[in-house]
Amino acid sequence: MSRDHALITLENGQFYVDDQGSKHGTFVNGERVQRKSLERNDRVEFGVRDVAYVIFNPQHVTSNTAREFLDQISGIHISAESTDLEKLTLFLEAARKLNTAGVLDEILVTLLDATLKLARAERGYVFMKGEDGALRLAAGRNSKGEPLLDDKTISHSILDDALKANSEFVITDTSQSLDLAGRQSIVAYDLRTVICIPLRKPQVQTTRDAQSPESLTGEAMGALYVDSRFASRDISTVSNDILRAIATEAASLIENARLVQAEDAARRYQQELSIAASIQQRLMAVTIPEVPFARLKGRNLSCKEIGGDFFDAVNTDEGLAVVLADVSGKGVSAALLASTLQGMIYSQLSAGMPLLDIVTAANRFFTHKHIGEKYATLIIARIRRDGELEYVNCGHVPPLLVCNHEVMRPPHGNLPVGLLADATYESDHCSLHAGDRLILVTDGVTEAENARGDFFEDFRLEAVAAKSETLEDIFSAVANFCGGTPLSDDCTVVELVYSG
Amino acid sequence: MNLKIETHVADGVTVISCHGRIMFGEEATSLRDTLKKVLSSNRLIVLNLSGVTYIDSGGLGTLVGVYSSARSGGADIKLTGLGQRLRDVLQITKLATVFELYDSEEQAIAAFRRGGPADAVPK
Repeated sequence: MSRDHALITLENGQFYVDDQGSKHGTFVNGERVQRKSLERNDRVEFGVRDVAYVIFNPQHVTSNTAREFLDQISGIHISAESTDLEKLTLFLEAARKLNTAGVLDEILVTLLDATLKLARAERGYVFMKGEDGALRLAAGRNSKGEPLLDDKTISHSILDDALKANSEFVITDTSQSLDLAGRQSIVAYDLRTVICIPLRKPQVQTTRDAQSPESLTGEAMGALYVDSRFASRDISTVSNDILRAIATEAASLIENARLVQAEDAARRYQQELSIAASIQQRLMAVTIPEVPFARLKGRNLSCKEIGGDFFDAVNTDEGLAVVLADVSGKGVSAALLASTLQGMIYSQLSAGMPLLDIVTAANRFFTHKHIGEKYATLIIARIRRDGELEYVNCGHVPPLLVCNHEVMRPPHGNLPVGLLADATYESDHCSLHAGDRLILVTDGVTEAENARGDFFEDFRLEAVAAKSETLEDIFSAVANFCGGTPLSDDCTVVELVYSG
Repeated sequence: MNLKIETHVADGVTVISCHGRIMFGEEATSLRDTLKKVLSSNRLIVLNLSGVTYIDSGGLGTLVGVYSSARSGGADIKLTGLGQRLRDVLQITKLATVFELYDSEEQAIAAFRRGGPADAVPK
């Protein structure tokens, strides 16, 4: 079919078809014609034969207009010229619908319906920019209100140009426009009317100073595109302005809807987090084994955020083992690693593995997985029935060994777990007597801070450990010291009393 | 943010001075970013921590992380100006043996000229 293939005209109540010098000809009832009068039920073919044809069937032969004929063959209803007042009504109605539509999709559909009505176009699409900057179809509708998919007949070159220039692209009669020679889809699909309006992010004007127009133009987040195979002589300046106003209104509504969606996502994320936190709490719940030769107690005071502290205890033939660890950092990442580490250590302790093998394996795991700057300080201690204690301190606050109200801090220590791949570890041994206590704390205790910015420090911890009998005394000493200043880190204290 | 970071070049060595707290979060990120930027142009770096009042576990992780990645990339970072608290932390975590520590900025810079860790003051 040629670009200007044939013309159907009404002359003195009679329709005529005029071939406009088309390459492949115009046929009426199978006969190639140059000019012929048309009768009801005539079969009209343009160009290639037996592919598509039109049956001429005017509703009222006597009062027919070319417009009504077009109506029938296209299926779109083109009303008589609307007044500006009618257009304004359409606009207001569209704006009202846009304001009540809460969901992004509804906004897009309303935008399309309003635009199609105003422009009397056949089909309309909204494209939105993805995160990669590429345009993706967000909604498509034809004038009958049916959903449309992206197809290659859409002039993507015009879309791209409109977005690049961030300005409207309105062509009401492509046949009159000379610079469209290269637009393939316009030529191939005989698009006559193309309107493309970028949807710009609403801009908040922060100062009253006059700004250059460029700085006031928001970034395009997508485009409204409508086209039609018919030249539309109806798009007056007023409807152009209204179209632009609708696009602006829709853009700000789309932005709002996106914010609402983001908020929804954030809320869901929060819910997920709290579920994760409760799973974490359950994982961290410790069943303290009952053994005749020792008594074990542990308590954790969590700060607001999910932390990376955990302690666990396992009783095997090798003795009663306890682990206290603190994964660096806070939040979900720390909690994840804490859970993994806890699982690793728990299973290896249950298998009765040597303590040094356990920390070496944990270090290998952390460093091989390239977790980054995350690491854990930990103490694993195992006490035998006869009071023999073996422990490995990996960068953790040194334990407190309390014998007869005297506090000792063994200097033994190793690198934390997960910092250096080639770290080697050593353990320390000592013999406990009945009544001796081993107290393990995380640095949340020694670095508990008061309003003045002082830390609880080791000497206060040692002082309270020397005279106290229970864990609670240590916690109340910390609470007294902080005097209402909220904890910035988890505080965990574990006490192992050897009863002989 | 509780950390102020300044850099200057002395004797071809970039000195990064930290003031405030090195904490998990934006402080650690800021220190990491600064070090990365400096490392792209200079391989001789002195990190002066004399203005640092506190470093938490996350901050320490950043310090070690940057230190070891710089080392494996052929760069050299020396530490100076460690307060008692930081010395204690490095002692507890045994990281004092990992870092090259110097008593003063001048000594750290001079160590680059003499070439290497042989002159490191044992801590």
